[in-house]
Amino acid sequence: MNPSSSPSVNNPSDAIKHQVKRFNPFDLLGKLSESRYWAYVLLAPSLLLVLAVIVYPVGYGIFLSFQQFNLMRAALGMKFVGLEQYIELFQEEDFYIIIKNTFTWVVFGACSQFLVGLITALALNRKSIRGGAVARVLLLLPWIIPSVVAGHMWALLLDSRLGVINDILVWLGVLDSYQAWFASAKTAMPAVLLVDLWRGFPFFTLLLYAGMQSIPDELYEAAEVDGATGWQKFIAITLPMLTPVIVAAGILRGIALVNSPDLMIVLTNGGPGLATFTLSLYAFQIAYDNFNFGAAAAVSVIMLMILMVFTMLYFKFSGVTKNT
Amino acid sequence: MQFSGSLSRMRESQKAMRRFYDAIAYAVIAFMLVFALFPLVWTAMTSIKPEKDIVTNELQYIPRNPTFEHYVTLWNRSGVTTMFRNSAFTTSLTVALVILVGTFAAYSISRYRFRGRGAILLFYLTIRMFPSVLMLLPLYIMLRSLGLLDTLWGLALTYTTFSMPVSLLMLKGFFDAVPADLEDAARIDGCTRLGALFRVVMPLARSGIAATAVLIAVGAWNEFLFALMLTNSEGSRTWPVVLQLMVGEFQLPWGLIAAGGMISILPIIIFFAFAQKALVRGLMVGAVKG
Repeated sequence: MNPSSSPSVNNPSDAIKHQVKRFNPFDLLGKLSESRYWAYVLLAPSLLLVLAVIVYPVGYGIFLSFQQFNLMRAALGMKFVGLEQYIELFQEEDFYIIIKNTFTWVVFGACSQFLVGLITALALNRKSIRGGAVARVLLLLPWIIPSVVAGHMWALLLDSRLGVINDILVWLGVLDSYQAWFASAKTAMPAVLLVDLWRGFPFFTLLLYAGMQSIPDELYEAAEVDGATGWQKFIAITLPMLTPVIVAAGILRGIALVNSPDLMIVLTNGGPGLATFTLSLYAFQIAYDNFNFGAAAAVSVIMLMILMVFTMLYFKFSGVTKNT
Repeated sequence: MQFSGSLSRMRESQKAMRRFYDAIAYAVIAFMLVFALFPLVWTAMTSIKPEKDIVTNELQYIPRNPTFEHYVTLWNRSGVTTMFRNSAFTTSLTVALVILVGTFAAYSISRYRFRGRGAILLFYLTIRMFPSVLMLLPLYIMLRSLGLLDTLWGLALTYTTFSMPVSLLMLKGFFDAVPADLEDAARIDGCTRLGALFRVVMPLARSGIAATAVLIAVGAWNEFLFALMLTNSEGSRTWPVVLQLMVGEFQLPWGLIAAGGMISILPIIIFFAFAQKALVRGLMVGAVKG
């Protein structure tokens, strides 16, 4: 027998070598996956995207806020104006009203949604309740309805001529006549807040309910042995155990409220007067209607600073940054 | 005697209390169900009323002459099918990109302990908070110079990046739950790390990946602000924009708006019904360390 006549059959290691020689990109990737650079290779695409589409634009946006720049008159180019656009903003009287509105919108929005969400979650969390699973899913529906559709739905419900809510309230004797909820300066903000309550409470219900489910039963049993009432159990066990969830949900919702002018665009356009005008709507309008990107960027940077406060509170209290 | 009497009385009162609380809980749930569902039901009913039954002096609660004319009109109107195709394309592309890119990144953060890991995690959490309007302006300029303005790819790219942070945190949570031992076993059997990711980790985390996909899909399908700003022709407008512009074009065609709303929320409700359980878990992980 001549061992060299058919080496690839007789020698298994030669057979493997033979296979590797055929070029296969997946083998290469597989090899790379064993190297110590793999963690970075995996992260790179996502980091690149985020750097290009979020970080760079944010940086550029901050840069724009110091420039006079109108996209409609792009030929004029950019002109460095320093803090001028900020100073102009703070000299406008309307700007303070807009900031106040933003504050009302965020605080009342987040608080009302939290309270309604909490009450709903508490009701769903009772073990003796039947049909809870179905109710839980149905109650989440408003949360996944897009803002545009939600806005239109409620515009119809609250319409001053065709609105069913007016009809019911008049029938109940609460109102004398139909109200134009979105057209009156007094009721416009509460009406938009109501629409956002509808859209936002399920988010709190969802997170708070999940949080309640993770509280061990033994705690409640021990409290019952000690003769604690339902209210005492809520104050001494449920609330403290839920604090991280409450903080996280509240701040995330607050950020969403600062950021999103959707409902105002659909329902009121900031009106009547300035009654529902918020910072996000202001920035959007300056950019979308006037193409004055410089001034819009200045408003956005002010929003960024407000959001930074939220972000730091979130990091501090939610425990989300704890490395595990 | 007296002691046991008072004990049973206490039990009685406890039972009564429990029943009382249950009654309140049922009342709360019933009220909230009406609050949550009535607008949807009303819109559905409006969508099947003929226009003359919507604009009336006396409100019609139950549609007397149910009709699908609004759906037919809407569907036959030029551009409506295009906009749904646009939305479907943008949404699918976004989901595919986020899951592909996000899975790799989340796996890396979940499995490896490398220098800068904490900083990267913090970074992803921070960018979640940036005001969208601030990014809108430079993105507009950027996409324009890349020739991606007013294209579905440009929109999908934007959505991909925006949903990256929250998807990454969710996916990381799901990967954390897959025991590393299983992966090690696969590698002893000759799998590479890449192979183990595809053959072991991803299949085990599939319900979590599905939930993340649904969350991304709902977000992309519903997105309004960026779509409004970054598209302006029929070929790339998604349906929330078209629905909103319909209001300006005609004098509040309530029947059409209601029908459009109903058609557009149908896909997300179906998606949601499939994935709601894992979705809840994932959101919890994404928002708070459970």
